[in-house]
Amino acid sequence: MDLVKFMRMKMSDQVDHKEMYIFGAPACPGIVIGNTSLFQRVRPHITDTQIADDEAEDHIRKFYEAIDIAEEELEELLENTDLKASTDLIQMQIAILKDPELHDRVEQEISANNKPVDSAVESIFRNYLQVIRQNHGETFQNKSVDISDIRDRLLQIIHNKRDDIKEGTILVAKELSPREIISFSNRDIKGLITDRGGATSHAAIIARSMNIPTVVGTKKATEVINSGDEVVLDGRNGEVVVYPKDETRKKYKSLIAQQSKRQADFESLCKKPNKTSDGTPFTLQANIEFAEELSIANKYQAEGVGLLRTESIYLSRKHFQDIDHQVAFYASILELTAPHQVTIRLFDVGGDKFFGDEEKEQNPFLGWRGIRMLLEQPKLLKNQLRAIFKTSGDFMGRIRILVPMVSTINEIRKLKNIIDEVQKELLNEGINIDKEIPLGLMVEIPSVALKANLFARHADFLSIGTNDLTQYTLAVDRGNERISNLYDQRHPAIWQLIKEVAEAGERNGAPVSVCGELASDPIAACCLMGLGIDTLSMNAVVLPAVKQLLRSNSYADMQRLANKALQAETLDDIDNIFSNWETKE
Amino acid sequence: MIKKKVTIVNDAGLHARPAAALVKLASKFESDFYIHLYGYKVNGKSILGVMTLAAEKGAELELELDGPDEKEATEAITELIDDGFGEVYEDENE
Repeated sequence: MDLVKFMRMKMSDQVDHKEMYIFGAPACPGIVIGNTSLFQRVRPHITDTQIADDEAEDHIRKFYEAIDIAEEELEELLENTDLKASTDLIQMQIAILKDPELHDRVEQEISANNKPVDSAVESIFRNYLQVIRQNHGETFQNKSVDISDIRDRLLQIIHNKRDDIKEGTILVAKELSPREIISFSNRDIKGLITDRGGATSHAAIIARSMNIPTVVGTKKATEVINSGDEVVLDGRNGEVVVYPKDETRKKYKSLIAQQSKRQADFESLCKKPNKTSDGTPFTLQANIEFAEELSIANKYQAEGVGLLRTESIYLSRKHFQDIDHQVAFYASILELTAPHQVTIRLFDVGGDKFFGDEEKEQNPFLGWRGIRMLLEQPKLLKNQLRAIFKTSGDFMGRIRILVPMVSTINEIRKLKNIIDEVQKELLNEGINIDKEIPLGLMVEIPSVALKANLFARHADFLSIGTNDLTQYTLAVDRGNERISNLYDQRHPAIWQLIKEVAEAGERNGAPVSVCGELASDPIAACCLMGLGIDTLSMNAVVLPAVKQLLRSNSYADMQRLANKALQAETLDDIDNIFSNWETKE
Repeated sequence: MIKKKVTIVNDAGLHARPAAALVKLASKFESDFYIHLYGYKVNGKSILGVMTLAAEKGAELELELDGPDEKEATEAITELIDDGFGEVYEDENE
């Protein structure tokens, strides 16, 4: 009997501390080991009792105290952030805290309905959120999150709940708002793990910009992790180890040591000139979607933005039509990247995504998207062009326009006519613009690559989008898991197409760059360089690795590598060529 | 008291940012300021109130101003709305 009991105790002991893995989406790379704090977005228990008439005054005072504290906190955050997006968000929240009608209604709820302060705040906010949802429908959802975030902060203050965040810990939370993440900036948070959210959510982007290793969307982190537990967070692949075993801890500790050494090497590497070992210069740029991503890009000395995606900023049709909103966005990117170039890609999604009511297409990737859609939606196109040209006056010579999904010369002609119109309108309105903005084409359709000589004559530059070019050339839908093994951007056929484009660009004086994923593979980057493409744009995180390999090899060697890749017959050949080239060093 | 009808002209309508601009401007004046739309009446100095309106492009607002500086306030607010809230962004960006 005693033995059984003993064993059971032993077992439960082990069960409690058994090493456990949970997985989410990697949102910011980096490995950390540490103890956790559970961050609860306390929607504390709301008191549902009634208060006596003579208590009302006290509750009203508590409400204004909470407003003052919340406002002070936000003002402090405002001083410590210089990101336009964050500033906007915080200023909106301050305006809400100052809302006189909010004050009146909460006071009224307390004194006339005898509600305690927390319950009054809760019900007044519920009321506003309801009306807003009713009147705006789905599109307002993002903004209403901000409003509930303010409510939650007020309730936390009223309940005197300091969050239980300890300095130097890894935070585990159901989900985090951008404001919450910004507010951690001065609290030495080592890492973030959330149940919900995706790697492209605004919160994840802010985490990346602050360089806090982050795993999001684990679904169950808050269920399986307790406050104070030791965890390993691997932000490179989205792995979290709870109760790590000694050997696991050891393994990760040495990885961390390697990483921090590499990080230090990276930063000193990035300050060195962009030249191959035999002195041929090259240019490395960043692909971005949000201003927040520029902090990493700048740290790694990206020379401008080779691809500014404009899709997610204008998720709603309303924003796309708001020219001032667009101008503010472009200007913030240009300010943060001075004195380099920024290549703005025109809105690039399928029509189905933008006009939800349109017919669903059977083959959206071969359908009404990119310039095909824009030319049929002149208002949308003109608004974007107006915004770009309006911005350009303050940033002469720094903007380039990139056109997605071009497949005919006629599309370029039509677009140029519209650009002329927009320029004339703005000049008539007395607005200062850059009349010489270069117009470039995305080379992502095989026919364009094959006829690159023709297209290069109609463009100021060409940018090869290897992601779609691969998918169209190999006829592989990369999202289809059953055939995804057939998708490889290093395919011999792709190298051949790239060579055509590089040569056509050279012949016609149109600079060629690559902004697809292929450029972020360091050896492939050397191979591209060997083909004469000296401008590469990629996710900023991989800049150091690419730069290192480009700097440590000679241009002559890269040309030899490119020649071999062009002679390869199969992907296996490419694999061999690339791995031999790597071990050679 | 002054009552005046104005139409929202900017494409995006009276969404969060214009609402913030409108409230900021209105708060500079002493006069009471209400907006009527679709049978709703909201306090024009309340950002939450203005956001609940969800006024789209083409929506006709009725402004109601009452107070010592009602004339100036009406003028300034009308101008802001007629301008599609354009100028205010630039002021705020500085």
